Amino acid sequence: MRAITAFMNGVTRLNKAIGVGVSFLVFAMFVFILLEVFLRYAFNSPTVWTNELTQLLFGVYAVLSGGYLMAYRGHVNVDLIYSMFGPRTQAAIDIFTSILFFIFTLALLYFGYDMATESVSSWETSYSAWNPPIWPVKVCLPVGAGLLLLQGVVKLLEDIAIACNLSYYKPEDHPEHDSKGEQL
Amino acid sequence: MSIEVLTLLFFGSLLLFVFLGLPLAFVLGGVSVVFLYFTWGFDSFYMVSSQIWSTMGSFTLVAIPLFVYMAMILERTGVARDLYRAMHLWFGGLRGGLAIGTLMICAIFAAMVGISGAAVVAMGTIALPAMLERGYDRSMCLGVINTGGGWGILIPPSIMMILYALISGVSVGKMFAAGILPGILLMVLTAIYILVRSSLQPHLAPAMPPEERGTLRDKLLALRSVALPIMIVFMVLGSIMGGITTPTEAAAMGVFGSLIAAAVYRKLDFALLKEASIRTFKLTGMIMWILFAAHAFSAAYQSMGAQALIEGFMAQIPGGPWGVIIAMMLITFLLGMVLDPVGIMLITLPVFLPIVESLGFDPIWFGILFVINMEIGYMTPPFGFNLFYLKGIVPPDITMKDIYKSVIPFVIVEIIGLVLLMIFPEIVTYLPDLFF
Repeated sequence: MRAITAFMNGVTRLNKAIGVGVSFLVFAMFVFILLEVFLRYAFNSPTVWTNELTQLLFGVYAVLSGGYLMAYRGHVNVDLIYSMFGPRTQAAIDIFTSILFFIFTLALLYFGYDMATESVSSWETSYSAWNPPIWPVKVCLPVGAGLLLLQGVVKLLEDIAIACNLSYYKPEDHPEHDSKGEQL
Repeated sequence: MSIEVLTLLFFGSLLLFVFLGLPLAFVLGGVSVVFLYFTWGFDSFYMVSSQIWSTMGSFTLVAIPLFVYMAMILERTGVARDLYRAMHLWFGGLRGGLAIGTLMICAIFAAMVGISGAAVVAMGTIALPAMLERGYDRSMCLGVINTGGGWGILIPPSIMMILYALISGVSVGKMFAAGILPGILLMVLTAIYILVRSSLQPHLAPAMPPEERGTLRDKLLALRSVALPIMIVFMVLGSIMGGITTPTEAAAMGVFGSLIAAAVYRKLDFALLKEASIRTFKLTGMIMWILFAAHAFSAAYQSMGAQALIEGFMAQIPGGPWGVIIAMMLITFLLGMVLDPVGIMLITLPVFLPIVESLGFDPIWFGILFVINMEIGYMTPPFGFNLFYLKGIVPPDITMKDIYKSVIPFVIVEIIGLVLLMIFPEIVTYLPDLFF
């Protein structure tokens, strides 16, 4: 049981640490784009790399958010009916619906891995004027899917614990679960 | 299995799992993978992952985190508070004046940021207590903040419009230009409603006593607060409409402007940037994962060949092409009550857009109608982001029921606006034709 708890806490901590780090990429994207506008109009010398670098950063930023959001229950859902049930029923429903979650993330992991290995095998670049390597970003797709999948396993273990009153997980360990994610 | 049964099963299982509380991204993704497996086979998911890859590198989508970042920073500066003080002095003497002032601040906010939450939170904490203190009717105050907050996605810039442009293939700049006049129209309609209502029932929104209205000097000094927002609006919208920058670059200009605003208000520090970064990450990630899953959804939808079936079904609707448009509006309105806007968009648009275009309607015009419908969705119970935001910040004696009741007249006003835009499409198309 202690191993399960350690696994759950480890994955959650990992996702949160990655999330906090990656979240700062928004500032980098802002700086690069502003720099491009500035260089274009002030010095009449647009660059070849700012936009492309921003796009690559954005890919990393978007795809690595999945696990972090999952750790904070930040993926938007409709709790109209769901919220009428007690915590144990909710956990049981979650165990049932998680099948779709696993189908999607496993498919994403499988095909993302395929795409990434193909890209890495040729050290793929973008073939643009700047021609940066893009394989590291492609690798982020299966990595992001994997992090999401791991956090989903943690969620499933939690739900099983809640539904069956097992001892390895106590909801009060994670008070931040109450705080929902951001909405538009 | 016949196509009718397949389509029914597809949308039926989507709805079932949505209402069982599974996050939308995983419902869309999971159901679609299952259906893809049975239609085009397992390997068809390779197409989906390559579409996800191209979404990851979309330069247009980079505008989303930037606009969100900008909103998160602006929300924490004192811009809203100062704007409210100015509106208070200028309009307080009027019956219903504070409510109209609140609407105007919401519109200014909407012209700076592309999401609706920022204005609702800012006005809910600043304007609501001030109006209640001066004897404004509770329903009036709550309704005004709800409706005004929703304009964030209608008055450009707008995250919804960026997503719509991405799905429909129209230009983001045109969508932004198209949203300006409808936004002003809705503001005027709502202001008229408040003026009429408060002159018929003065106790709902009393005029401020003369001693609180301030001198002319106070009023002019208070106008300083408008300078920063105008500068930001100019930096963002001006540079898009003037053809100087792309929407994404304009978003970066907006972040720059909001950093200047934060510095002017002496709020600019690492804590602010960190908090804004994390909130931006959560919101952008939520949108992006729904978008990733939506690729699987549209692939699955196409794989079933349900388009012809739905088109045939739509052709049965009485009233010809207009009947179809009205039916679509009705469907999105009803979905707006229970689903979140990004989800509605990604589920309905792949189905609706081909029909809209084949009927000969302008996709930009349809997009504006759609966005207004989403905006109404923000404030229609039981599921509406603005309602939840508001509940989170109002004093505890205001119940969810109070908030639900307050939106009814304002929703009717918005629907009147929607109908006007259907009758006079020029209100939407005039500016995009002029600028682009």
